Amino acid sequence: MAWRYSRWSADHPLPIGANERAVEGQEVQAGDVLAAGTRYGTPVRVAGARRLGVPPDDLARVLRVPVGREVERRTVIARTGRRFARAVSSPIAGRVIHQRADGDLYVAPVVGRWVVRSTLDGEVSRSDDGCVTVQGSAWALQGVAGYGPDAIGEIALAVDTPGAELQPSRIDVRLRDRILIGGARATAESITRAHACGVAAIVAGAAPAGGLRVVYGDEATASGANTGPEAPTVLCLIGFGTAPLPREVFAPLVALVGARAAVHTASARLFVFASESAGDFAQSAPSLALSDDWLGARPLDEKGALAGVTRFASEIEAESVATKDGPVPVANVLAFDAPRTPQS
Amino acid sequence: MTTSTELVASVDIAHEARTERIPPGAAAGPVLRVIPGDVVRVAALLGRDAHLASAMAFGALAGGASLVGLVATRDGRTLVERAELLRDARPDLIVVLAPDRGDADGLVDLAEALRFGCSQQRPLPQILVSAHERVRPRIAACLPANTIEALPDVRTLAGREALVARLRAVRRRAQEDVVLRDEALEATARALSASATVDLVLLDVTGGSTSIIHARPDGVVFGIHERLGVGAAADRVVARAGLDRVRRWIPRAIEAPALLERVFNRARWPDAIPASVLALTLEMALAREAIAHALTDAERAGVALEAAWAAPVLVLTGRLAELPRASQSLLVAIDAFGPTGPTLVSRASGDTLVAAGALAARGRVATMPVPDPIAIVAEMWPRRSATVRVKDANGVVEERVTRGSFLRVPTQGAVEIVMPGATIRPAAANLELGVVIDARGRPLSLPPRDAERIPTLARWYGALDVLPLATH
Repeated sequence: MAWRYSRWSADHPLPIGANERAVEGQEVQAGDVLAAGTRYGTPVRVAGARRLGVPPDDLARVLRVPVGREVERRTVIARTGRRFARAVSSPIAGRVIHQRADGDLYVAPVVGRWVVRSTLDGEVSRSDDGCVTVQGSAWALQGVAGYGPDAIGEIALAVDTPGAELQPSRIDVRLRDRILIGGARATAESITRAHACGVAAIVAGAAPAGGLRVVYGDEATASGANTGPEAPTVLCLIGFGTAPLPREVFAPLVALVGARAAVHTASARLFVFASESAGDFAQSAPSLALSDDWLGARPLDEKGALAGVTRFASEIEAESVATKDGPVPVANVLAFDAPRTPQS
Repeated sequence: MTTSTELVASVDIAHEARTERIPPGAAAGPVLRVIPGDVVRVAALLGRDAHLASAMAFGALAGGASLVGLVATRDGRTLVERAELLRDARPDLIVVLAPDRGDADGLVDLAEALRFGCSQQRPLPQILVSAHERVRPRIAACLPANTIEALPDVRTLAGREALVARLRAVRRRAQEDVVLRDEALEATARALSASATVDLVLLDVTGGSTSIIHARPDGVVFGIHERLGVGAAADRVVARAGLDRVRRWIPRAIEAPALLERVFNRARWPDAIPASVLALTLEMALAREAIAHALTDAERAGVALEAAWAAPVLVLTGRLAELPRASQSLLVAIDAFGPTGPTLVSRASGDTLVAAGALAARGRVATMPVPDPIAIVAEMWPRRSATVRVKDANGVVEERVTRGSFLRVPTQGAVEIVMPGATIRPAAANLELGVVIDARGRPLSLPPRDAERIPTLARWYGALDVLPLATH
């Protein structure tokens, strides 16, 4: 089954420097800020417990500024005594970021800010300085690879048929903040144009691998690419090159035009926030067949029957499935929702 | 390949998505599973000794782990930079190497960066500490929430073996009834080498990993196992090698973007079969680069490979052995591995050899199937034209060999090769392909321009009849 309405969980890893977070149990909507924080410059080490003459474990007792709080230059961070006071003050403006086991402190200047937004409507199930996890119900479509940052927007259709290529000429600024549904292929030109026009994300059957490398650099692999927040977002649903979407996948996307949606790139999922009764979307999709030269994939619309052991052009002999375009190795036919990562 | 495995238990061999069962030959017994193992991400905190990084890399290669981050006391990074690096690396295991007493302060700084960056990671990374006795308690004080275990000095053999054992335990996820594929392969290589009483190298390339194992008849085995392969890890090969280095092995003009598409599709299609000749040549190209980069990483880690290159027996397993023609397996092996002496190359298609190795690794008696001998490869680099005489059951064949020659002499029965300064009498009798004389020199150089590269490759492919004629 391609489309599933279920309860999903989405992890949102946080960079270092979170200073506000949603709390566990809090209700959030896709697009809401889950956490915000600051980026740090070169930190300065400040003598803490040693200078105050207290054991490191007792430093917390005498801190006037807790770890994580912003300070101005010369702000007193900790102080002991009354008549013969000893104090630790900040040498720079910034944040107290860390307390060492030996009782020293680090203060770092703030050089930037970041926010992380939810990609699910639901409830925060975990929240700490490393990650915020949201659990919620939504329609979802599992892809094979997501590129760029998470994205939130309304679904908009940019192709007429599931086998069409996403044309740059169909993209303009009126599609700003939308999640565009491409067909069989989203080229590098359409990805960059969409990004320039403020489009939130592109979802298509496939994208050219070479184009993805042009956009995301050589670090882009078949399982995705981690980038900063300024990069475009692309979700490949089936593979790379050209891959027409099955009718059972495309038709619900047409019906869901205008619905709020989000792309969670780490899990390569498209979440659509519509009610469970929005349509009969949970239909079994046809299997997918990898082309013999691995240049693309296509849905097998016909009922494939086993054709026994076949000798292919490569001289490999393997069990095959008969299709109108000739036999395809059984190993090259997968269910739409089959796991695409190897077992461990 | 011998079909009866004579195993004392069924062995399930896990591939990318499918699992193949090798049934027992005699009586039904318990099932043992051979798995590739979890991907273990390892980060290292290093003291001042310049050899620690290479010792760590060697240990990670031997244990089949991914080394995702190295931070050192003298790397010039700030606390924040180190913490960001460690957080982004998401390590499952941290190895602390600080053999000198003077490393204590620097290592405490690194431990603080680790706590700052990864204290919220779930689960918390385990920490293995190989450090001076004065350093260890200070690190433990910095990281009170982490589980910390001691480790011998990884620059020594005992230390490396302890690290490998720990890494493998993590990769097995505490499952008792499983054997890692690399463990099984090492046991196979040890048994084959002992029975043949010669040095032996086993090359295994699968969809997700590449293993190069050198076994000596006295039982000493060292292996390197890397996450580079022709399937799920194909995109990692391209990321490491670059697309042009993969493309140069394809004996026809092909555009780089189209090649990358094929690599990416294969990486996300577990156990896909190359049905076309082009896909098959791509798989061969990926196998070459996977082996070449595993060797390069081993050399960088300080592994001495001269003895491995000179080993007289080379056994091929995994996808490398399952290529449709024996000549395809052979060409990939000699192009990428480049044995320096006369070498008997055999291949074991199917998984029976791995299954027998798995049982041997668990201390069970297993009859090792004998791999099929393909060819004797005689590598030479003559100053001037030389004559090589190949004697077999049909008589004597003389070949003139000059620099750049690459030729095959089909043989029947027992073989004797007379080369300038050496006479080789291999033990193997029936070689599928015969004798291959390789005077192409090392390292292999391929012209960059298609107009010269393709004819060169076509000549090499043609010499061994590697591909169907229509594609030459």
